[in-house]
Amino acid sequence: MTTQEITATGDIEIAEASRTNLWRDAVARLAANRLAVVAILPIVLLFFIAAFGPYLTPYDFLAQDFTARLASPSSEHWLGTDELGRDVFSRILYGARTAVSVGLVSTAISLIVGLVMGSLAGYLGGRVDMLVVWLTDMTRSMPALLLAIVINLTLKVPLEAWMEQMYLASKNTFFRQTMWVDLVLVFGALALIQWPGYARLIRGQILSIRSRNYVLAARALGMPTGRILTRYVIPNAMGPLIVAVSAGMGGAMVLESAFSFLGVGVQLPIPSWGKMISDGLRMWQTHPHLLVGPAVMMAVITVSFAWLGDGLNDALNPRQWGG
Amino acid sequence: MSVLLDVQELQTRFQVRKGYVYAVNGVSFKLEEGETLAVVGESGCGKSVTMLSLVRLLPPAASIENGKVLLRGDDLLQIDQRQLRDVRGGQIGMIFQDPMTSLNPFINIGTQMSEPLIYHRGMSKKEALARSAELLEMVGIPDGEARLREYPHQFSGGMRQRVMIAMSMSCEPAVLIADEPTTALDVTIQAQIVELVKELRDRSGVAVIWITHDLSVVAGIADRVIVMYAGYIVEEAPVDALFEDPRHPYTVGLMGALPSLEGETGTRLTTIGGSPPDLEDLPDFCPFHTRCPYSIDRCRTENPMLEPVADASDRGHRAACWVDIREVEVQSNGAGASS
Ligand SMILES: Nc1ncnc2c1ncn2[C@@H]1O[C@H](COP(=O)(O)OP(=O)(O)O)[C@@H](O)[C@H]1O
Ligand code: SF4
Ligand SMILES: [Mg+2]
Repeated sequence: MTTQEITATGDIEIAEASRTNLWRDAVARLAANRLAVVAILPIVLLFFIAAFGPYLTPYDFLAQDFTARLASPSSEHWLGTDELGRDVFSRILYGARTAVSVGLVSTAISLIVGLVMGSLAGYLGGRVDMLVVWLTDMTRSMPALLLAIVINLTLKVPLEAWMEQMYLASKNTFFRQTMWVDLVLVFGALALIQWPGYARLIRGQILSIRSRNYVLAARALGMPTGRILTRYVIPNAMGPLIVAVSAGMGGAMVLESAFSFLGVGVQLPIPSWGKMISDGLRMWQTHPHLLVGPAVMMAVITVSFAWLGDGLNDALNPRQWGG
Repeated sequence: MSVLLDVQELQTRFQVRKGYVYAVNGVSFKLEEGETLAVVGESGCGKSVTMLSLVRLLPPAASIENGKVLLRGDDLLQIDQRQLRDVRGGQIGMIFQDPMTSLNPFINIGTQMSEPLIYHRGMSKKEALARSAELLEMVGIPDGEARLREYPHQFSGGMRQRVMIAMSMSCEPAVLIADEPTTALDVTIQAQIVELVKELRDRSGVAVIWITHDLSVVAGIADRVIVMYAGYIVEEAPVDALFEDPRHPYTVGLMGALPSLEGETGTRLTTIGGSPPDLEDLPDFCPFHTRCPYSIDRCRTENPMLEPVADASDRGHRAACWVDIREVEVQSNGAGASS
């Protein structure tokens, strides 16, 4: 019986498995996932453009060509020009920078806040847990866009005034650029909207993993808490977290465009796809080229992040690997 | 033989919304060096909570209210966390019911098996891996070295339980606590696991506490048996005495030979009618009285203590019952002693 049980698992499988490790297996699994592979390309491209866009663009994002306003796509302006005669293609490339910084920074902030709050809630339990759950429920019950508008309306003017004062006091030109106020407000609003999701995810993961049998078994073997956290809890929480972060990046970019649409997003002069979409929407019937470019970019990137997240989750989860 | 583990008056309860669940209510027993003790009782009677209490592995809602757990004289309920971690795995190994979920899916078998060896025995990673390969072969998994690099999902349930046994035995503990280790497995695999534990026990001399809700496994493996009901020990006896001369009505019931309470004709019970008492609201008299065909008035006023039974063939035969069931004629209506 014993030998039968062993051969049933297959000799070939054993020989192969012995030469691989978890990460190599994960990469192989990811590579075998067609959607995830397809999704990687636009994402890599996005980061590349965000990093090197300014060197690639045919025109400066502010350069205006008054002879060619609202021009249709041509060999000179691949995606045409806007009302002020600015090259749409160049602006899209610059917009990648905004999109990536919005995605990265707001996700990083909300993830850190979510990790801290979620771990505290999951680990300490009791009142801390109740408080965190209450806070996340409160935040989530408020409509995201309304929250962003309220933040913008209440904080923008005082922040700008403070920057002005700082400039007068220090003469540091950094404080002259009100663009920072916009960015801080947008990142802040996005982080405020997104942290509860991460916090609840982490909390749930900790609660569920802590009660899993393998954690009990590890404790029964005398393993110290720190080791259980790093070897058992964190790796097992990683899959869902990666999916959430990946989807969250796309989500943050879409939210930012919604902010722009409502006039509380990243303001000129930095191009943002959201702003371009909302501007383009006003005259999409007569000049659809203003809308199509940024909208397609936004859609492709959002979908890519979602697919990649799913692919990563499957690849990193050994429980789903046959056998 | 000397006493290895001496559990005295252990009480564990869970805090719940409306009050407490009294899961373990003054449990006392001794385990001798090299002995195998079986713990039996219906699901929910406190077997697991008792064992988890010994090494303080309880969930946050639980608290140990009273008792001593003396391991070679040291009270495990008093030692600090650091000493406790040395006891867990080092002195007391445990295996659990569900081998499918008892291994970390993210770490390969070799790394997982090495950790306690590195931690408790101070081995180098290399030594620990070599030892793990030997241990795998010892529990009947051939080609141990190659299999160290595999992940849990590449092992079947029976194999995983073998790995768990190898891990819990790796630091040569004095006690192995096996909490229903075969319940989740196929019948054929169950028998293999029982054989494996017997073999390892005979080779290493480890004392075993074997928990089960199934009396049929007990005869083949145990020296002594404890029967639990509603967080109490209701009977304790050497294995032969228990099977030949059970004295507690509940034990008789577990063996499938309890006469029916209502005296319905022709019913032969293999399970005991009725259900165990609510552990949140235990009576201060015999907790079995609602299901007991022998019950007398005294059963509803006083809770019987676990005391040596009359005319015992062995001094260690004890039961918690007001009635000497041998002297009572119950309308048994054909309930047979065999099942
Ligand atoms: N986390 C918990 N919260 C409340 N009650 C619990 C908890 N865990 C176990 N119990 C109670 O403790 C009793 C004993 O459980 P357990 O020792 O697991 O039984 P078993 O004999 O089947 O191993 C059960 O009746 C159950 O109601
Ligand atoms: S004490 Fe009474 S009710 Fe309890 S088991 Fe004995 S006879 Fe039955
Ligand atoms: Mg149990």
